Amino acid sequence: MKPISDFALQVGAKIILNAKFMAKKGRRYFLLNENLKRLIQKDFYYAGTYLGKAKNGKFFPSFNLLAMLAKGEANKIVVDRKAAWLFICGRDVFRRGILAVHGSRRKGDYTLVVNEFGECLGFGKITHSLDAEENQIVVKNISDIGDFLRREA
Amino acid sequence: MSGKEFFVNRYERLGWKFEDVEPRQAIRINVTNAEGKNLEKRLRSIGVQLEKIPFLETGYWVRSSKVSVGATAEYLLGLYSIQEAAAQIPATLFTALKDKAVLDACAAPGGKTVQLADLMGNTGAIVALDIKKRRLAVLSNHLERCHVGNALVYHLDARQASRLKLKFDRILLDVPCSGNFADTEWFERRILKDVERNARLQREILTEAVACLTSDGEIVYSTCSLEPEENEVNMDWAIKHLNLQIEEVDCHGQEGLTDVFGSQLDASVEHCRRIWPAETQGFFVCKLRRRNKR
Repeated sequence: MKPISDFALQVGAKIILNAKFMAKKGRRYFLLNENLKRLIQKDFYYAGTYLGKAKNGKFFPSFNLLAMLAKGEANKIVVDRKAAWLFICGRDVFRRGILAVHGSRRKGDYTLVVNEFGECLGFGKITHSLDAEENQIVVKNISDIGDFLRREA
Repeated sequence: MSGKEFFVNRYERLGWKFEDVEPRQAIRINVTNAEGKNLEKRLRSIGVQLEKIPFLETGYWVRSSKVSVGATAEYLLGLYSIQEAAAQIPATLFTALKDKAVLDACAAPGGKTVQLADLMGNTGAIVALDIKKRRLAVLSNHLERCHVGNALVYHLDARQASRLKLKFDRILLDVPCSGNFADTEWFERRILKDVERNARLQREILTEAVACLTSDGEIVYSTCSLEPEENEVNMDWAIKHLNLQIEEVDCHGQEGLTDVFGSQLDASVEHCRRIWPAETQGFFVCKLRRRNKR
């Protein structure tokens, strides 16, 4: 479960997962509840809460995992409605679209992106210090929930 | 035994005068995710006008929209699903879903699986099957988007569900069917033999489902077909061959047909619900349980 806890640390969060309730299928990780744990068989395709997949030494978190992390302490930027929409469309975040910053403001760190309702829209990499005054791209989009639409295309 | 005239004539003999209608777009609020989020107001603020569907607790017609309701942040966050109104009925017919073991035997693309999870409050367990592997990816995306945490998905033919060696309290059989003319080329493509072939497949699925049902379990059977062979006639067959009884349900739709082209079916088949196309697509739904088990 190291890829998951390592990813959590990258966004300034901690996650404790009971290995007993984890299931792995190929490169994909899932979190089970007690009922699923009892019923699951080895040839499953999808199970419980999808947490993400590891590929070529990198971990790609699911939006379920990002939402779980966003509920607790983590690097987060709260963005306004326009920036939220642009982010979902795959765009990066400009300084002026940020309403609040929680956790790291440092260039190079990763941060979750949440909307005005606290709902996690994805995550990105801080490309310029969030303390910067000028309006420029400060968070590069890495993954956003618009991906659900792109997967279907 | 094919063509628009042939099928339209059949519908007239069953008591419905054909009308070329287009079902209204509908959404269903995922209560588990949307609770306390004032979803209607949020959607209104982006130009989506909703209208409550009178026969559904969490269903809304999309009266008008300035945006695609399948591409809003609220949709991508799993606060609601796009689900045709009649298709929202089957999952609501089960009693006491919380903490139950539920089989969704023909699950993809997963609209009803997500609805079941919502009605269960993400408790218990849903085992979702589909025979087509490529459809499982769509189902999985749907589960992830809507934050479903109580489902197990298997690539398995519903006719082999007993291989799982599990018993289920509730079984949803939204079976593969001939569909209906909401699909614009339907009349050109369908022949009566397709209907008969599908009816046979549906009976095989029903038979397997009964083998996986607990003694006091419930089955909800549904199709979006208008053809009685896939609906009332199959339910009559299930009564006679699978020791099932049809439960009365309180939902939208007309009574099931008990006279099908001159053949008299079991009187209890009237407890089924048949929905001729109007604001919704054509649909059929029926609730079953083992005879004399309560």
